[in-house]
Amino acid sequence: MATAQLKLDVRNPGPTVSIIDIHGEVTGAAETPFMTAYEDASTHGARTIIINFTDLEYMNSSGIGLLVTLLIRVNRQKQRMFSFGLSDHYQQIFQLTRLNEAISIYPDEAGALRAAEK
Amino acid sequence: METTTKPNFIQRLFGGGKTTQPDKPVALPDAPRPLPGTLLTLDLPPNDPLVAYFSSQPGVVDVDKLNLDSPALRDLTKQGVKMVIPLVNQGELLGLMNLGNRLSDQEYSSDDRVLLNNLATQTAPAIRVAQLVRQQQLETQARERLEQELRIARLVQQTLLPQELPTLEGWHIAAQYRPARSVGGDFYDFVQYSDGRMGLVIGDVTDKGVPAALVMASTRATLRGVALDYNISDTHTVEHTASPGEVLARANDLIVPDIPPKMFITCFYAILDPRTGVLQYANAGHDVPYVRRGDTFIELRARGMPLGLLPGMPYEVQELQLEPGDGILFYSDGLVEAHNAQREMFGFPRLSQYVASHNGGRELIQSLLEDLEIFTGPDWEQEDDVTLMTLERDAAAAHTHSAANPTGEWKTLDEFETPSQEGNERVVMQRVARVAEGLVPAARLEQLKTAVAEATMNAMEHGNKNNPEIPVQVQVKASPQLLSVRITDEGGSAPIPDNPAPDLDAKLEGMQSPLGWGLFLIKQFVDDMNIITDEKHHTLELIWHLKNTAVEE
Repeated sequence: MATAQLKLDVRNPGPTVSIIDIHGEVTGAAETPFMTAYEDASTHGARTIIINFTDLEYMNSSGIGLLVTLLIRVNRQKQRMFSFGLSDHYQQIFQLTRLNEAISIYPDEAGALRAAEK
Repeated sequence: METTTKPNFIQRLFGGGKTTQPDKPVALPDAPRPLPGTLLTLDLPPNDPLVAYFSSQPGVVDVDKLNLDSPALRDLTKQGVKMVIPLVNQGELLGLMNLGNRLSDQEYSSDDRVLLNNLATQTAPAIRVAQLVRQQQLETQARERLEQELRIARLVQQTLLPQELPTLEGWHIAAQYRPARSVGGDFYDFVQYSDGRMGLVIGDVTDKGVPAALVMASTRATLRGVALDYNISDTHTVEHTASPGEVLARANDLIVPDIPPKMFITCFYAILDPRTGVLQYANAGHDVPYVRRGDTFIELRARGMPLGLLPGMPYEVQELQLEPGDGILFYSDGLVEAHNAQREMFGFPRLSQYVASHNGGRELIQSLLEDLEIFTGPDWEQEDDVTLMTLERDAAAAHTHSAANPTGEWKTLDEFETPSQEGNERVVMQRVARVAEGLVPAARLEQLKTAVAEATMNAMEHGNKNNPEIPVQVQVKASPQLLSVRITDEGGSAPIPDNPAPDLDAKLEGMQSPLGWGLFLIKQFVDDMNIITDEKHHTLELIWHLKNTAVEE
């Protein structure tokens, strides 16, 4: 079971913006693929990393820990991290953990991209 | 002996007006000559040879003729003292009568000396009597202060003990508090929860008198506050009541910083669901209550340190289903530690046998107190408070209860186990969610899933060390009001590592691990949570309120 049911796609919709699309589960096992995806997303000098949670099936506390680790790296690189597509439940978890203060939540991709251009 | 503390008597004897100020010596003419009727200041430490000399030498002493290496003697000479008459009573030097030169500058005659000797032999006992009277007065004052303190302590205690006992259908509660003369820190209390459950508290503060009464008062208030106002989530408005273990743990953390040194509190906290008869309890080092069942007894044991010693203490929660006819005796150590004239203790064996062989309630309390009196004898001065409290379930209760409410007990909805293997938390989560669907409000189902998955992960990782051979056991039960999901691992009674509350800022600054969100999320998403342990197993019980429906058959 250690191989996570997870697929990550990286897109570059603009010169300074990258999107990481999550398909599947974010658990502790997602660490390596997630960090690889982040490096891919940053190679072209992206200033904003947007995480697409639309196809997220399940995220547990280790997955939240993983987001925190990612956030530390993003902050260190003076990048920003946005998100969209979070279900009500995971939005509530973001609020409870205060992750929503560090990762801005947008309702959809267009909204996140507009904010990234600012 | 502290001669320097006694000049008051000498001063009175000599009728001396002014005393010589140490920083302002009396100006003397060429030849030192003390002013008539003046009190000399003399430092006469107990180890000065002069003290031993005067104590053993009744009668007039000529200062000039003394040959002692004594600072006090030099001081006397310097102040112009010619003759000293020690005031000695029963070998104790009480004071000195000091004389300078006669005003006529003539030598003292032998008649003078006889007169002075007679004076000294009469003065010394008079001073002693005066001292004793004074001492007696001080002791009386101290005793009155103590009596006053005891009145206050008793008042605090009696004001805070429940004025009325709660009434519960199908149950009987009785209590009696008998203060010792010195008033200890015993207390008992009842906490009424809005869902019909009842908290029962019995406790004992070490120490006696006003300090114990004050600590008792603040402990009682803290326990009430923690028991009734424990809202761990602001995401939903359902009232959350803490488990007995949480109540004690939170109260302990609040008490530790403020409690006076060397004091602590033993305390037993139980929550009774009067509809089902389930009693959950936790114990902070208090004497173990006894349950009478038939003609035998059960001890309500649960591990936990007394309150006020160390912060961050875990309190094991245990549970017992009280059957019709069962009775519990809660008591304080004043009972078991009472001694008879032969210095034998009343003791636990005697008490447990007593509980097993007597019916409970007010009669048990009454006959127990009578037997205690017979044991200790008529001249017994009660050393410590004695508090007794009983909880009885009517023998007929189950019958009427089940007739009125056929689903009044807990019903098991699902029971299974799963190997401790990463990913299996999702299996557990989905299976429990299928059972819970339709029972808990729809909006809470996702929360339940997260809490169950996190609890299962903890059980696999921390309890079973991710050993696939050791399964995690899952049990889902429902009562008419509650859904309970119990997740059990083989971690025994080792407490769950209590990480600091996760703080995102601290994590982002590298001050905390990025992980450690599991227990936090569980607490956010349940209505109540209990930890139940034994030697081998560790169970986390997650509780949700049902959405106003009874469990379907």
